[in-house]
Amino acid sequence: MRLNEWQLAFENYLLSDAVEAPSSWVTSLQGGPTLDVSGGLAIYHNAYRGRLLEALRGDYPALVYWVGDAEFEQWAVAYIRQCPSAHFSLRWFGAGFAGFLSGYLDQQQAAPLVEMATLEWAFTLAFDAPSRQPLTCEEMTALPASAWPDLQVELVPSAQWVECRFNTLMLWQAYKAGESFVPSEGIEAMEVCLIWRSGQVCQYRSLGVEEASALQGMNRGWSFAQLCSALEVTHEEGAALQAVTWFKDWLSLGFLNRRTL
Amino acid sequence: MQKNLPRPGYGLGLRSEYYQPILEQSPAVDWFEIISENYMVEGGKALFYLEAIAEQYPVVMHGVSLSIGGPHGLDFEYLRQLKKLAERVQPVWISDHLCWSRGNAHQLHDLLPLPYTEESLHYIAGRVRQVQDFLGRPLILENVSSYVRSSADEFTEWAFLDALTQLSGCELLLDVNNVYVSARNHGFDPWEFISSLPAEKIRQLHLAGHSDYGDYVIDTHDQPISDPVWALYQKTLERLGPVATLIERDDHYPPFETLMAELIKARQLGQQVVERKSLCA
Repeated sequence: MRLNEWQLAFENYLLSDAVEAPSSWVTSLQGGPTLDVSGGLAIYHNAYRGRLLEALRGDYPALVYWVGDAEFEQWAVAYIRQCPSAHFSLRWFGAGFAGFLSGYLDQQQAAPLVEMATLEWAFTLAFDAPSRQPLTCEEMTALPASAWPDLQVELVPSAQWVECRFNTLMLWQAYKAGESFVPSEGIEAMEVCLIWRSGQVCQYRSLGVEEASALQGMNRGWSFAQLCSALEVTHEEGAALQAVTWFKDWLSLGFLNRRTL
Repeated sequence: MQKNLPRPGYGLGLRSEYYQPILEQSPAVDWFEIISENYMVEGGKALFYLEAIAEQYPVVMHGVSLSIGGPHGLDFEYLRQLKKLAERVQPVWISDHLCWSRGNAHQLHDLLPLPYTEESLHYIAGRVRQVQDFLGRPLILENVSSYVRSSADEFTEWAFLDALTQLSGCELLLDVNNVYVSARNHGFDPWEFISSLPAEKIRQLHLAGHSDYGDYVIDTHDQPISDPVWALYQKTLERLGPVATLIERDDHYPPFETLMAELIKARQLGQQVVERKSLCA
């Protein structure tokens, strides 16, 4: 058997559900005095699944906490079967888990669980995203008043934007606090959970629809003057004050960069 | 600290669990070894601590995903990222494993055994030369633990490693624990393995723990180094003299002091060998 054929048989064995290997391939292997071929192969077979399962558990701890080990493992095994790893680093194995769940589970069951998976993956992305010093209040104070109308900002590279239609953030907070989960339920108005990294620590902030819309506008290229104009529709003469209030808040949280052309 | 070769020197595997004690205590560790893939990211905590620790200690890069014996083409995107990390960290050397970890279609995330045949030897030697050309430095390859062997083997594992160093110019990372694990599982003499390797090609040693199930042994890296492995290490040092040695722990992380105690023990064994050799000289 050529090297390539032998490896293909090994790979097929690891990916298959059966711990028993095809006899045609087993004859190309030898065991030891007390560890026979089937025992040796089982070690590799179990390790393959165990390693991927552990990676998923590490990426989605709130989901495990929510649905329990047994149910999570059932989904994970299906994911491992359907979406074998394509990246050299295990860090990326769980990237498609939310998408997988949305197709694997029935739609009604899936929506809040997919939202939780999306939220957890967003934290993973923020955790090791590129670092960039955020714009500070001090830098803004030094800006001449004449520069404010044309000022443009964007979110820091680690920022992740997750739109929540369920009380997912509350459930995630319960997991972090080690508290019992409240029932999952839809929320009246969609909220955005903004996640970013400050220093080496991930932070998050829940944004209502209006604030999220304002921040999204800025991130897409609005100037400060355009932000004020957009807010005039609802805030009339208080638009500039609202814009400044939010702006100061965003700066103090440290998730803005000056937009560079 | 000057980034000279840690030979001889005693190092620890850098794991996130130990970032704080390392920076707070500046322990008497000669160098740290990183798992390269854990730092092939764009930012965040891992890179932050690595850069802080690399300012104080020499660093060695140890990969798990090169898949030097794999059936696929070499992954040059992986190699580009590896080289980029090396430019950032300035490692003393770069190592990986004599194994395959990626199949024809998928990443398998394990250090899988190879048939030790002429075909494998020439295939792998060619790939090692390509990697060395790309990285601009010798590659150091580690022997892996194994649980099955190919019945088509034409070489022992140690003869294969020897031949590979000659054909490709690579050097060796001898994992003493892996030799012990494979010897138990396959029924060979671990000392025959170690004593047959070309001494001048052994750049580094690994020490780690395993799980012993009686009939077989699994290389789990989650236990203290066992007495038989210490004994084999001592015998290895007597043959080779002190060689850069690393204590590896990848799970069930004990307090940092516990790993330091293993490092101190390795250092003491190395010093005893030096003293004996100087007395005999």
